This record gives sequence, C-alpha cells and structure tokens, in this order.
Amino acid sequence: MLRPESLQRRKVTWPGILVVLSLTFLGITLFPLHVLAEETRGYVVSMVHTATYYDELTCPNGTNGSRPDVLIRRVMADGYDREEAIRIVSGIRANGGRDDDGNLVGSAIVLGGGASFSGDQSWNGFDFNPANVPSVLPDPNAHNAQGRYMLGLNLDGEAGPNSWEHPVTGETGIDNEMWRVLGCWDVYYVNKPVNPYNEGIAWDTAVDAMPAWLISITGDDLDQDGEVTVTFDRALNIPLRDAYGSIMSGASFAVDPNPRSHSEFKGQISDGVLTIEPGDFYLQGESQFYPHLQFSGTQLRFELKDDGSMAGHIGGYQPWRDYYHYLSVRGETDGMIDLIGIFYDMKKYADAIPDPDTGQNMAISAAYFMEAVPAFHVDEGGNLLADSVGPGPKFSGPAVSQYSNNEQ
Amino acid sequence: MNIRISILTKLICIALVFGLIPTRVLAAENSADEQITFVRLTSDQYRNAIRDIFGESIQVSGNAASTGVREAGLMAVGGRRLTLSAAEVETYEVLALDIASQVLSPSRRATLIPCQPRDESAADNTCASTFIESVGLHLFRRPLSKPEIETYAAMAATATESLGDFYAGLQSALVGMMVAPDFLFRIERSVSNPEQPGMRRLDAWSRASRLSFFLWDTTPNPALLEAARNGDLLFEDGLIQQVDQMMGSARIEDGLRAFFADMLAFDRFDTLDIDTNLFPKFTKNVEDEAREQTLRTISHHLLNNNADYRDLFDSRETFLTPALAALYGVPIPIRQELGGRVPWVAYTYPEDHVRVGLLGQATFLSLFSHPGASSPTLRGKAVREHLLCQTIPPPPGDVDFSLVRDGNHPDLKTVRDRLTQHRENPTCAGCHMLMDPIGLALEIFDASGVYRTMENGETIDTSGQWAGQEYVDVRELATLLKDDPTLTSCLIQRAYNYGTAREPSRAEVQWLNATHTQLRDEGVHWRELMQRISKNPDFYTVPEAATN
Repeated sequence: MLRPESLQRRKVTWPGILVVLSLTFLGITLFPLHVLAEETRGYVVSMVHTATYYDELTCPNGTNGSRPDVLIRRVMADGYDREEAIRIVSGIRANGGRDDDGNLVGSAIVLGGGASFSGDQSWNGFDFNPANVPSVLPDPNAHNAQGRYMLGLNLDGEAGPNSWEHPVTGETGIDNEMWRVLGCWDVYYVNKPVNPYNEGIAWDTAVDAMPAWLISITGDDLDQDGEVTVTFDRALNIPLRDAYGSIMSGASFAVDPNPRSHSEFKGQISDGVLTIEPGDFYLQGESQFYPHLQFSGTQLRFELKDDGSMAGHIGGYQPWRDYYHYLSVRGETDGMIDLIGIFYDMKKYADAIPDPDTGQNMAISAAYFMEAVPAFHVDEGGNLLADSVGPGPKFSGPAVSQYSNNEQ
Repeated sequence: MNIRISILTKLICIALVFGLIPTRVLAAENSADEQITFVRLTSDQYRNAIRDIFGESIQVSGNAASTGVREAGLMAVGGRRLTLSAAEVETYEVLALDIASQVLSPSRRATLIPCQPRDESAADNTCASTFIESVGLHLFRRPLSKPEIETYAAMAATATESLGDFYAGLQSALVGMMVAPDFLFRIERSVSNPEQPGMRRLDAWSRASRLSFFLWDTTPNPALLEAARNGDLLFEDGLIQQVDQMMGSARIEDGLRAFFADMLAFDRFDTLDIDTNLFPKFTKNVEDEAREQTLRTISHHLLNNNADYRDLFDSRETFLTPALAALYGVPIPIRQELGGRVPWVAYTYPEDHVRVGLLGQATFLSLFSHPGASSPTLRGKAVREHLLCQTIPPPPGDVDFSLVRDGNHPDLKTVRDRLTQHRENPTCAGCHMLMDPIGLALEIFDASGVYRTMENGETIDTSGQWAGQEYVDVRELATLLKDDPTLTSCLIQRAYNYGTAREPSRAEVQWLNATHTQLRDEGVHWRELMQRISKNPDFYTVPEAATN
C-alpha cells in the first residue's frame, strides 16, 4: 500500500537518517526497510458508553429500580408508608406531590439537574440544588453490584479482593469499581445489545452535532501481529449516518490540530486483539453526556473485526466527579438514578489518586464500551493521515496533490 | 385570499384542455393554413416559468405533472404525446390557486400588478384587462387576442361581483389562465412552407418558445418575446443575435441539466429503490447527491471547461460530498461546518483509480441496477439505449430468469457465470451479447456504486470485447466507448430531438450526419452543438405528419 507522503515525513527524523546512512555505509543493513513501509489505518468512534454486564450474581438483593423508586424511597424515609408514598409520587405532576393531609412533600424529594442544568435550581423552598451539594443529604445506601464477573481491564496488574473476572476472556484482576456504583441501577442493569439508556440516548443525540472522536493505528502490517502506535484525536467535523442510523464507515475526518485532545499510546496487535501500554487519555466532547472523557493509567482491549471495524473496552482511572457531573447535568429524570446515592457510592468506591490533603481517592477505576468503524483522517490541508480500510478492496492512499482547493 | 374558481370556469378550463373549445378559435390571428402541435411542459419547466414570470419568492409547492412517457429515448419527445387527465387538471388547479394567491397577495400587488383598481371591492375591467394582457403574454408566450382578454376579464368581473373583492376576481382569472392549455402546453403554431414541401414553419412566437425551452428550460424572457413580436426570429440575423445572447447567459446551465437529466433517464430516480438493508451507505441524501454529482460534473466539464463530450467517459474529475466520498471509499478534504450547506469539493481520482467517467458514478450504477443487486444486463442495455441510441428489444415473455437471479448457485458463483449459461439459450444470446459485456465490466461496482473485487468469493472478471477490441476493465472500456462514433452521433441526435420534441425528418437526418462528421473532427463541444442546432432554420419546422 502506498503510504501518504505526510506520514513518511513524520517517521523520518534526522537521527534516523544518520543511523541509516551510517549503517549503509558499513554495509550492514540493520535498519529494516519495512519500518518505512508502515501503514496507518483510521477509525471514527461509532459508539461509546459505560461498560455493562450482569448475571444472577450481580445484584443478589435486587436492583435499585428507577426514578419512581428513588422518589418513593425518599418519601418513605420521611416516615410515610409505601402506599401513601406511591400516592404522593404519583401526584407530583398533578399537585406537586402532596400527602393525604394536603402537605406538600414533592418539593423535598425532586431534585433538579445540577451543575449546568438550566432549569429550576430551587429545592424545597431553598434557593440551591442538592445535586450540586449532594453531601447535604444523607446517603440512601443504594444496592451496589457484586458477584464475580464484570467487563473491564486489569489496570494495576494485580488480582485483588475487589477485582473482577472478565466474563468473556476469563482474565482476572479486572478493575472496575464504577460498576459497583452503577451496576444495580435498572438503566445500567443491561447486557449487549442493549445500551445503558441514559448514555445510549445521549450518544445517539450527540453524534449529529458533536465533532467525531478518531482513533488511528500505525504499524508495519496491521493484518499481522506486531507492535503498533495508537492515537486518539478529536475531529473538526461530525460523523455521517448510514441508512441504519449507524455511523457511516469510509468517511473523511479532519483531525483537530489542537493537541489537547491528542493521546498517543504504544500498543500491540496479537491474535486480532489490540491492546496498549498504560498512559493518560483525554478527549474533548460536545455531547450533553461527555463534555470530555479522561483517564489515567488507560488501557484498552479492542477486537479487530473482518469488516474493518473494531470494538471492545477502554478504561482507566477516571475522575469520579466527572461522571457525577455527567449524571447531574442530565438530572435524575433522564438518568433514572439517585444522584445523592451515586455521589456517596462514587466517593466510597473511588480507588485511585488520593487527595494529598484528605486522602480521599479522586479517581475510580472504570471501563467503557467503545466501537469504531473505518474512516479516513486528513489534516486541515486535506493531506491524508490515515487510510480507511474496510471490507472489500483496499484503496491506496491517494497522492496529496490530487486534491483541489476549489470548492464549488 | 383563498377562493375557488367557479364551476363555469372549471368547465371552460376542462373544455380547453380537452379541445372542446379549440384554442385557435380564441386566438385572433389564426390563418386558415395554421396548424398547432402540443408539447406538455415538464414539472421543472412549469416551475421555472413561474419563477421567471412572477419572481423567485413565489413558492411552487408540489408537482402537478405526472411522469411522462419516454419515446425515441427521450421524455421530451414523449411529451408531445401527453394530454391531461381530469385528475391532473384538478391538481394543476390547486397548484394554480396557491400560486395565484401568492401573486395577488397584498405585499406583491405593487410590483406584480401593473395598475390599481378604482375600488378594491368592485370590478374594474380596465385594470383587470391590463393585468391579463400583461401577464398573459408571459404565461401563454404570445399576446392574448382581444376575445381572450375579454373572456378572462369577464371571468374576473364575475368573481369580483360574487366575492366583492377585485383581487379575488383577478385571482380567478389568473387561475383560469394557469390551467389553460396555452400555459400548460407548449403550443406550436406553424404554417406551410412552399420552399420545403412536407415541412411547416413555426411562427415567431413558437420559435421563441422552442428556443427558450431548449436552451434555458424555461419560458421566453422579455427580450426574446420582443424579438418574436418584431419578427426578428423569422430572419437569420435576428435569430443568430438572440441565440448568441442566450448562449452567453448562465441560464444555459439549466438547459444543459434538463437535457442530460432526460437523456440519462433521471426519471428513474422517481422509482429508484436500492435496498438499504443491503447497501446501507445509499441513503436518500446520497441518492440526491449522486444525482447532483452527475449534473455538476457534466456542467463543469461541458460549460466551464468547454471540454469534449467524449471525455466525460474517462474523465477523473468530478465533485464529491462527504457522503459520496464515503460511498466511493476515497478521502476528501473536509471543510464541513455544523449546520452548513452540503460542502461540494472538486475531486480528481488518482491516475490508477478504477472509477472513471460517468459510468463510474453512483447515478448510472444505481439507476440501472435491481434493488438488491447490480445488473450487468440493465447497465449494458442502458449504455446501448441511452448513450448509443440503439434499441434492445424486450425479452420474450417465456424466458426463465431463475438461473440468472440465483445468487446462491453452488457452481455458478458470479453473475458472469450465470449469464454465460443463460446465453446458451439462443433466443437470449443475441441481445445479451450486446448488453452483458458492457455491464460485466461494471460489475466491480455494486448496486449502490460501492467498489468491490469479489463476488461470492470469486474474483470479478471485468474483461470483454467492444467492437472486436478487447478490454480488461472499465477504464479500457471507457476509452473504446469514447472512440466509438455512435456515442457522439447519439448525443447530437438526442439534443436535436430534445429541442424539437420529435424525431428528425430525412432532411434533418442529413444535417445531423453532416454536423456529426464535422464535430467529430473539431471536437464535440456543447456550446458549439447548441449554437449549430439553434441557428439551423430546420430546427424551427414541424413535419406535416407531426401536427396534432
């Protein structure tokens, strides 16, 4: 395959040239030619959401239900019996949620979205929103996920008492404490092909307006096992949809030159599975759920598929306040969770990056499902950076000079 | 204003349409020798005429014209066979009501009505007649006769008296004119020509219409109508002057687009149904963009570059949108901004790229495919019929196609294998030998235009023979095709027939052959061809046999 000139330029550095010249002069060609024949394949992320998995061991005491259950429990915590609590919650839209004596209860149990939520931020007669200051309310002690199996990655290289076993690969030491927080909420208590409702809807809405997230893989021969370089970038343009509403493969994306959303990892392809060495990851988003996505100690495990796409899990230690923020912006109505409970559980299960003053862990191990389809990456000048390699014939990267700057 | 025309008006209109009141009876200047022919306006011509008469702000919602019929390879020729059904008249009436209410809305009266009534609640025959005479010239593409003006003025007066609103009355008259055959049809008036027995000459007004719809796909502009009124169009120098002026206008692109949309059978887009379960990239947007890609490519090539028509078949230059680029599997520069218009980008395929010319575009590839599979036969037939003006007879009624359609056949894995087997039936072989080799070269493109190299695990063989010469792929086929004189003679013939909406006479065939011989040597350039046809006196004739 012809490699774009721009990529060749990127790899050939002056020290590299000197080494080659020296070795050639000595008649020892130790510098393998295939290094210069690397290929780069481009992808666009076509779906991302919190990894979910459940079996009969996940929530042995039942799930936490959904938003009505949250509200009913809050009313019951004020001393009402279940039947009256149900009547109060059922009447929220009609009368604001009043008890049998006409007392207004609803205003004390309904939280607006927090943070950047633009609606009514008042609560129970006060001019503030507990979603922004969740510690003012008591921990509702929601059920947390248990059991043996969960999707994710072994972030610390160890198999400890809190780690999971991967249900597909059997790998032990899976670190995913965020699943303990989320796993017993009904909207997360799903298995593929069902997506977690809140994030699935948010992603489906966002992709038509959000600059795409891009992945590239560079290596000597990406159809074979070997070492690779994996990059993540943000695009300047949004994805296209195909007739299924899925992200269209083979489209072109201009890579945002802003380095803020550029992450690069050493990686490996082995038996059609892509993995990376741990590192920091940051992607800016414009979704109503992901203003950004960031991890430290990032790892991934993507299966490379015959149709050119890849799918798997990416994870790392994520600032848990990020995720709480995502949920609070969406609010309890969209999120179908108890924001207060999530706050306390995130804080409790956070397992990395302790605050030097308080000792409170600020990050939580997490895993996200991610899927990507082939895409061309170009720079702002139209130069090809990565080929789209899907099913069927493989096109060579076209010469840079073929582009015309004439827009009609 | 929202009124409906009276039953009487409707009856008059329907009577006009069905010829119960011959139009020429209403016209003042009929000679005993005059004969008329009809060509129904296409929906685009209707739309363009309204735009040019009343302005771009008038919305034409809906499409009143039913799909026409293709005759001698062109919908334009079939347009001479079209009449109007009662249902279509109703549809045109609804459309006319909507347009008339816009034209006569208070905000537009000052610019579109040349006078003001003495009293807006009473009839004003003078003002109504002024409007009718003025707008009638453009709608009917000829001056209205006195009886016609009186008829429509009376219609306006009756409605005004009934509704108590001058403009409502005027709306009634305007609707009446817009559902009259003089507007919905190109009515060509001709007289006998002593110098050319068997051929009749068009009058000046009919010449203006023929020329305008041919070059601009719209109604004659004021300058052309003035040239008709002066009789300039009846003389060579006056005609040449008008043609030259029209050829210098950007509107020549409208005419080019309309012609190629007809010649390349874009009417098939109306019923195109590529199965998106099988070809998910072929969305409705992609379909629309593919259509535009083809017209944009042709227009740029023939008008902007003034390049040879033949080069359209192996040209690597085209225009792409992000979605089309994804369909074709090529990268393009991205300038897309959120919420912006579809960003078209000029694009040139690399030298060794297999996708060249019009035959490599999704328009041709999808229009001549089955919903779920490509069809070498349909594609080959399309090349023969639409590009080479050849006729392939329909298959016999008792042919068994099951083998050809069996995409899961255990032994005959490729469509080439199955068609080869099919051609062993001597009844089928004759026609399939003409069609299949062309289409098989295009088998590397599926029904949606996506590139592929394999079919059921077998490598697709694109080789074949054209006029005794072998080719290995579609690129070599394109080179052979563009060198075939039939390609250019077909274009010239179709362009001429498109303008006259009929097949040529014997004398015209001789002129076409001579023109073809010259242009093949000099280059088949669109502007030159249009000029030659438009300035040919025979172009403004009608054979005796063609008159209705």
